[in-house]
Amino acid sequence: MGLTNTPSDLLPGTLELLILKAVSHGEKHGYAIVEHLRLASDDVLQVGESALYPALQRLLLKGWVKAAWGSSENNRRARYYTLTAAGRKQLAAERAEFERMVGGIQGVLRTT
Amino acid sequence: MGTLFRRLWHLLRLSRHDAELREEIETHRSLRQGQLERHGLTSRDAAEVSRRVLGNVALAREDVRTGWTLRSVDGLRQDLGAVLRGLRKSPGFTLVAVGTLALGIGANSALFSVYNGLLLRTLPVKDPGSLALLGTGEWTYPIWQAVNRRSSELFDGAFAWSPDRFDLSPGGETAFVDGAYMSGRLFDVLGIRPAHGRLLASADDDINRGAVVVISHRFWQQRFGGAQDVVGRTVALQRVPFTIVGVMPEGFFGPDVGRVADVMIPFGAEPLIRGNSSFLTGHWTWWVEIMARLRPGQTLEQATAALRAVQPQLRAESLPEGTPSMLERYMTEPLMLLPAATGRSDLRGRFETPLVAMLAVVGLVLLVACANIANLLLARALTRRHELSVRLALGASRWRLARLLLAESLVVAATGAAAGLVFASWSSALLVRQLGTWRETISLDMRLDWRVLGFTAALACLTAIVAGVAPALGVKRVAPNEALKDSGRGIAGDRRFAIRGTLLIAQIAVSLVLVVAAGLFLRTFTSLSRVPLGFQPDRLIIASLNLQSRASAAGEAAPLVERMRAAAAATPGVTSAAVSTITPISGSGWNAGVGERSAGPPDRTRMTWMNAVSPGWFQTMGLRVVSGRDFDTGDVPDGTPVAIVNEAFVRRFLADRAPLGARVLAGGPRDRTDYHIVGVVSDAVYRSAREGAVPTLFMPETQSDSPATSLTIATAPGQRDAAQRALASSMRQVDPSVAFTLRTFDEYVHASMLQERVVALLSTFFGALSLLLAALGLYGVVSHAVNARRTEISLRIALGASASSIMRLVFKRVGLLLAIGLVCGLSLSLWASPLVQTFLFRLDARDPVTFTSAVVVLTAAVVLAAWLPARRAARLEPARLLREG
Repeated sequence: MGLTNTPSDLLPGTLELLILKAVSHGEKHGYAIVEHLRLASDDVLQVGESALYPALQRLLLKGWVKAAWGSSENNRRARYYTLTAAGRKQLAAERAEFERMVGGIQGVLRTT
Repeated sequence: MGTLFRRLWHLLRLSRHDAELREEIETHRSLRQGQLERHGLTSRDAAEVSRRVLGNVALAREDVRTGWTLRSVDGLRQDLGAVLRGLRKSPGFTLVAVGTLALGIGANSALFSVYNGLLLRTLPVKDPGSLALLGTGEWTYPIWQAVNRRSSELFDGAFAWSPDRFDLSPGGETAFVDGAYMSGRLFDVLGIRPAHGRLLASADDDINRGAVVVISHRFWQQRFGGAQDVVGRTVALQRVPFTIVGVMPEGFFGPDVGRVADVMIPFGAEPLIRGNSSFLTGHWTWWVEIMARLRPGQTLEQATAALRAVQPQLRAESLPEGTPSMLERYMTEPLMLLPAATGRSDLRGRFETPLVAMLAVVGLVLLVACANIANLLLARALTRRHELSVRLALGASRWRLARLLLAESLVVAATGAAAGLVFASWSSALLVRQLGTWRETISLDMRLDWRVLGFTAALACLTAIVAGVAPALGVKRVAPNEALKDSGRGIAGDRRFAIRGTLLIAQIAVSLVLVVAAGLFLRTFTSLSRVPLGFQPDRLIIASLNLQSRASAAGEAAPLVERMRAAAAATPGVTSAAVSTITPISGSGWNAGVGERSAGPPDRTRMTWMNAVSPGWFQTMGLRVVSGRDFDTGDVPDGTPVAIVNEAFVRRFLADRAPLGARVLAGGPRDRTDYHIVGVVSDAVYRSAREGAVPTLFMPETQSDSPATSLTIATAPGQRDAAQRALASSMRQVDPSVAFTLRTFDEYVHASMLQERVVALLSTFFGALSLLLAALGLYGVVSHAVNARRTEISLRIALGASASSIMRLVFKRVGLLLAIGLVCGLSLSLWASPLVQTFLFRLDARDPVTFTSAVVVLTAAVVLAAWLPARRAARLEPARLLREG
């Protein structure tokens, strides 16, 4: 299985941006975030746990998401993450920044 | 900010956080397993695959943790953990190090809390910063009245008070309580609210308005058991019943520092106690303290200027009688306000210098202790060289290792400081108790406050740095290769000992300074206590009589005193009793000019001390009548003024004449009496032993104006204690209304040498402590050196070196350190000792005997400390070393 286990395959900060986007539609636990990213990217983005959980903790530390315990589909305790107001602001800002960056990269690639 | 808070929260629940993360990841895995099963895998395969794709969970957890905690904080936590484990493994080292520092830091904190309580702590009142004291010294009551009339124009308010002692007993032997007279606005201006009832107010200032008293919270608890109905009860002060109107709040004892006021009564009630000799109208009686509260925004300078503007009126309204030159000075001496946030205290002048000197001494002791800890830590670091080398080889940075060693000294210092605080709170209370005498009870508020805590914490940090830097520097010299190679088999001398040599030299030098100081103070005290007093204090009891209002009734006082004296003389165990105005070395004195009057200022060299005594007083005191006669009943009040002088008086004033029958003019500036000298007595000290035998002129108490109310009572050998008890009852029977205080004469002697004794005691203690620490330090270093070089020494012995040559080897190095240390210490002492010259008694600050003895004592201690390990070195058995490899 070609899993993207290291965040270095992505641009720095992109994983956080994707997570913020993933939880922006409502609360999700870690596995649901991974699944969401996989499905939404047509199996291109497969995030490993060892990258996901540190990233989630960083977001918690910065106060952009908050977590609450709930029960999962298979009746285990799972932590559900939701976006905070600060996180929403951050998402908008990072998204704009990301698009600017991608535009820049594409600009470079288009030149011959 | 929020991030920091979240980090802290995380740190507090670190283990919980880890468990939660594990659970979360496990849920994740099980969800994946479920999905794999739905895709057709067996449950076992699904479990295995899901676990495999999980990746490195431990690494993830590490990542999470470093995300949350700042790396340095976590490193510190690790360091502290390592240090605590290490210290627990060597309890001997820990005990010695922590104990040494507890003593060193504790002694500093103890003296600092006394200093803080006496000089730094602000009064527990509203806005102490705006209080100002009318300085310096006391004022007369008329001056206070003049100030008070203008207090609302000049300040935000002003009050006056005068500390005093009051007798609580209904009769017989006295039971004193410390208190004060006060003006009505004291509580109002200070912003003090009653704990019970009411406090005094301006209305209470009226003379004879009523005998009311406000008591302290402590007095209420101790004497009335905190009774709720205390208001309205009466308490007798100097036999006058006072009605209690209120209780002061807890912790407030008046504006004096070092002295508590348990009872406070209005100035208006003073005539009830002093009768006709009331001080209120005395224009020359200086007994009142005046304090003011500045207006908001008013500076001390502005207030002083405002006060000086009305000075002529203030002075004129309170003008006393006197010679024009005296009045001139009275009018022009400028009034001045002093900051008074810390209250007022007579103790400051007396104890500030000794306290600062002692603080310097204990600071030096702490330095010696620091050097010891540094040596111990260094020795530990050296024995751990192997471990440290391995750490270095494995990639630890030198800074990281130095940090580990610094953390060790920090932990030791912090533990020592904590133990030191306990020691300090106990010993500072002990010290303050030592300072009290029969004349005063000293009571300081020495609760731990931020200053004492801050001081102790600063000391601990300083100690950690001073003691920790040497070992940390040593780390730089650890070369992993060499250390791993030689591991204790080195033959050559060790360069690392250079740093320890410096520490030892410093210790020896500082210890010498302290031992010299101890020697100087101890010799001062012993020679002071060996000054011949001229009488035998160990047989004597002094009874001070207080005749109350009856003293003023003319003609009644003297017969009453005589009846008391007769009763005392007839008491079993008493051999004789006599009356005097002044009791030697009690602190009070009375002096007069000798010779023709002169218009100029009084000539200090033509002064004599005075006393008025009854017949038999010389014999009771144990003074010899050298020639002539004692006073007798023939010396009647209206007869020829007669006098007896002591030998010192004869030497000073009558050297060229036959003393008996000579006539001497003596007295105040305006009224000199022509005395006929009828006798000469042996010398005795008058005010203090420091002054030695001084010229003294005695007159019969029958011819004196001032009442003689001090009974000197001589007892039979060995019966003083029994006689004192018998006296209490026999004297009470004469007249129950007369109050009297019985004290052994030793108490006066004790009080007169208080400062010298306390300073000698403290400096000896600290000198000995520092000597002990230095000796211990040297012992440790030499033992360690011998241990480290045991291969070399064994080799030498195997090759035929004698025991004495091995001893020489060790002592050569110690001798060098000692010599350098002594030279440094001697120059330091020679430079510093003149600073204490004023405190010394009949001793040069560079007294050669003291200096030589100090050097001998220190050398002996050092030699002993080095001899023990040196002997061990000389007895090493080479064969044993070979066996052990």
